[in-house]
Amino acid sequence: MTQNTTSRSDTITSAMRVVLSNGLVALIQRNPSTPTVSVRGEVLTGAVHEAAELNGVAVFTGAALIRGTASRSFQQIVAETEERGCSVNAGGGLHSSGFGGKALAEDLPLVLEVLAEMLISPTFPEHEVEKLRGQFLLSLRESEQEPGTQASRAVRRLLYPPEHPYSRLSSGTPETVAAIARADLLAFHRSYAPQLTHIAIVGDVVPEAVVAELERRFGGWQAQQALPPLDLPPVVRPSTVLREDIAMPGKVQSDVIWAVPGLRRSDADYYAAMVGNMILGRIGMGGRLGENIREEQGLAYYAYSGVEADLGAGPWAAAAGVNPEHVEQAIAAILHEIERFCADGPTDEELADARAYLTGSLVLGLETNDGIAGTLLAIERFGLGLDYIARYPAIINGVSHADIVAAARTYLSVEGYVLAVAGPAGGTQ
Amino acid sequence: MGKTMSQENSVGEHRLANGLLVLTKEVHSAPVATCWIWYRVGSRNEPSGCTGISHWVEHMLFKGTPNMPRGSLDRTIARNGGTFNGFTWIDYTAYYETLPADRIELGLQIESDRMVNALFEDEEVDSERTVIIAELEGYANYPETWVDEAVKATAFTAHPYHHPVIGYKHDLQAMGRAQLYDYYQTFYMPNNAVLVLVGDFETDAMLMQAERYFAPLPVGPPLPRVHAEEPEPQGERRVTIRRHGANEFLQIGYLVPDCKHADFAALAVLDAALSGARSLTFMGGGAQTNRSARLYKALVETELAGSAYSSYMPTRDPFLFELGATVLESRATAEVEAALLREIERVQQDGIGDDELAKVQKQLRAQVAYGGESVTNQAMQLGMWEVLDSYRRVDTLTAELAAVSADDVRRVAQQYLTERRRVVGHFIPEGA
Repeated sequence: MTQNTTSRSDTITSAMRVVLSNGLVALIQRNPSTPTVSVRGEVLTGAVHEAAELNGVAVFTGAALIRGTASRSFQQIVAETEERGCSVNAGGGLHSSGFGGKALAEDLPLVLEVLAEMLISPTFPEHEVEKLRGQFLLSLRESEQEPGTQASRAVRRLLYPPEHPYSRLSSGTPETVAAIARADLLAFHRSYAPQLTHIAIVGDVVPEAVVAELERRFGGWQAQQALPPLDLPPVVRPSTVLREDIAMPGKVQSDVIWAVPGLRRSDADYYAAMVGNMILGRIGMGGRLGENIREEQGLAYYAYSGVEADLGAGPWAAAAGVNPEHVEQAIAAILHEIERFCADGPTDEELADARAYLTGSLVLGLETNDGIAGTLLAIERFGLGLDYIARYPAIINGVSHADIVAAARTYLSVEGYVLAVAGPAGGTQ
Repeated sequence: MGKTMSQENSVGEHRLANGLLVLTKEVHSAPVATCWIWYRVGSRNEPSGCTGISHWVEHMLFKGTPNMPRGSLDRTIARNGGTFNGFTWIDYTAYYETLPADRIELGLQIESDRMVNALFEDEEVDSERTVIIAELEGYANYPETWVDEAVKATAFTAHPYHHPVIGYKHDLQAMGRAQLYDYYQTFYMPNNAVLVLVGDFETDAMLMQAERYFAPLPVGPPLPRVHAEEPEPQGERRVTIRRHGANEFLQIGYLVPDCKHADFAALAVLDAALSGARSLTFMGGGAQTNRSARLYKALVETELAGSAYSSYMPTRDPFLFELGATVLESRATAEVEAALLREIERVQQDGIGDDELAKVQKQLRAQVAYGGESVTNQAMQLGMWEVLDSYRRVDTLTAELAAVSADDVRRVAQQYLTERRRVVGHFIPEGA
């Protein structure tokens, strides 16, 4: 066994954090154990900043960055990078627009050069935008036919008021994406700014040389407009059961989603909710939900819960895929486990296991360059500090039974919640 | 126990007296280790009427032993900060635990225990039956599943690659505990398994532990062999699936040689020229390299298709070299099919360029390097290649591909990607 068998926190604490003169934050870690490098970055502008009628514009803009820049066409970008076994990519999301690349370490300068062009001087060529739109529409139509998409869309619509960006899926709909104009992409891109950008670079690199390269490629980038505020409307917790059943011909299985409004990553009870959710619907084969619905009753191949705590309060949801005949039984099982969890909280053994898993598995997430870069990026987004991994075990071990019960009772409910069921017609009522 | 040298970055090969092959590789870049066990059993071993039995047995190995009752396996791994999974494929079944390196013994304990002690309790068999049917029904929500099953069923008339790994619903409803347990006792034997350990450990100490857990397991009787061989196809076959769906798409498969065949490398280079050199495992994590390749240029750039792919994977028996594309709304499927076939004809006539050969080499070198970042991925490659042929292929593959010439690529395209070896699957959405 080598040195850092406990937490490998030095992988994060020893990373270099540099703020360029234009406000761009770079996080760089040298990992000489493989000849590769991973770049992962994000600009904190996303679907939360788009108007309802332009739903999908953030995702569309992100994906269009690679479609042409002031100095390279899309075809040149993919030819030059793929020829060397590198890849570059970008894509929009809910709160941020992500970008990144992988390369052998010798090719990092090319990746940074291309990514800088994509972020700073994309040209959104008309024809490329139309090609991309065709691909988006094709995959949107496909996902509209998936019960999981329909159930997720319904849950968001039921949980959030229409003026809240969380009431929609970031991907947009076939209708909104068909109507987005090239000018809308250009306008959305003006919200990209270096002050909103974080970039993590991990691999067999010399950090000082990477900083010089970043200065050279990104240093001249300036914001084009005032930075977009994040101003999310208030959410009213449901006081009763809001249910939507969606009949989908030709389907065999139903997707069931139960949800309540959750919390923000920065909320004080975040860790209690996260550890609680681990026990309710994640650890092992899907926590208590998996144990009940899959292991004991054999109703589903998947059953789990997730808490989407981001810069805003996303849904805290439980989901299962079941035969239409078993929909009500699965819903009853979800409600039973939630009620029981709110009443009694976790057992001592469950809490000990969850703490051990969360702290023990840290090293697994810090094995690859991608894993390290992703961790650095999350730390920066939520302002956790580079000592976060070192502090993490104490944070997790400090979450008590009482904290978890309090968080569960604050958010989870078997009286006020939303429920969406999408699947074959006839079996869902 | 015969033992070869062991040092960083080289694979140690050790054979226990009961026939279990143990492969070890020290990797000290992170304090992580992974334990994999591979069995030479998959859906190719299944007789008609028992389809899906390999996968069902895999599920039952998570349902408890006398030493580790149901539910304690996943809890024990979680408590130790680990992750785990199992999967079944046409040629093999594999299980792994990836753990902080100082906990890796737990993987040996679990895998040696469930190789012989899985309970297969009646009520757990019945409960898992409906879980697997739910898994099957989840897949059946996707039109791609129906087309893929139809293409394989059409392409394989004599060989068990005919049926899906998940099995047919009727077989899943009909099978019982006795068949499952018998299958388990037949194939889950040290002499039919490969243990792969990769990570931050000392090889000698690791081997002593492997010996302690696995050496006491008894040798099984000789294993039944699969004799079926797919006869030479005599003409193109077509299958059309009409169901609810969004877009028309095509899936075309050609019967091609297995991974031991001398033409494997040339076919792999052809696949990479068509849609980029990919990571050699199905865990992903590599670089996207398809957008400068032939199919993307000919089908996606020209706005015939929303996506296009080729695929060729190492298998034990001859399997399929596949092509596919999703048709854009404004285009006709016939145009898209013609464009896919035209790309094959181009290679058959002109071969591929030296620049493409060079690109494939570089892409492959990079993909191997990306895959090497994770011990889990490294162990997966070693195990997969060992059950298919030899773990040494992981190291020789780069040289095998480098030795392929543009002429070789043209020749294999001419020899195997022919009309008579082809099955064309077509999906038409209805009622939309």
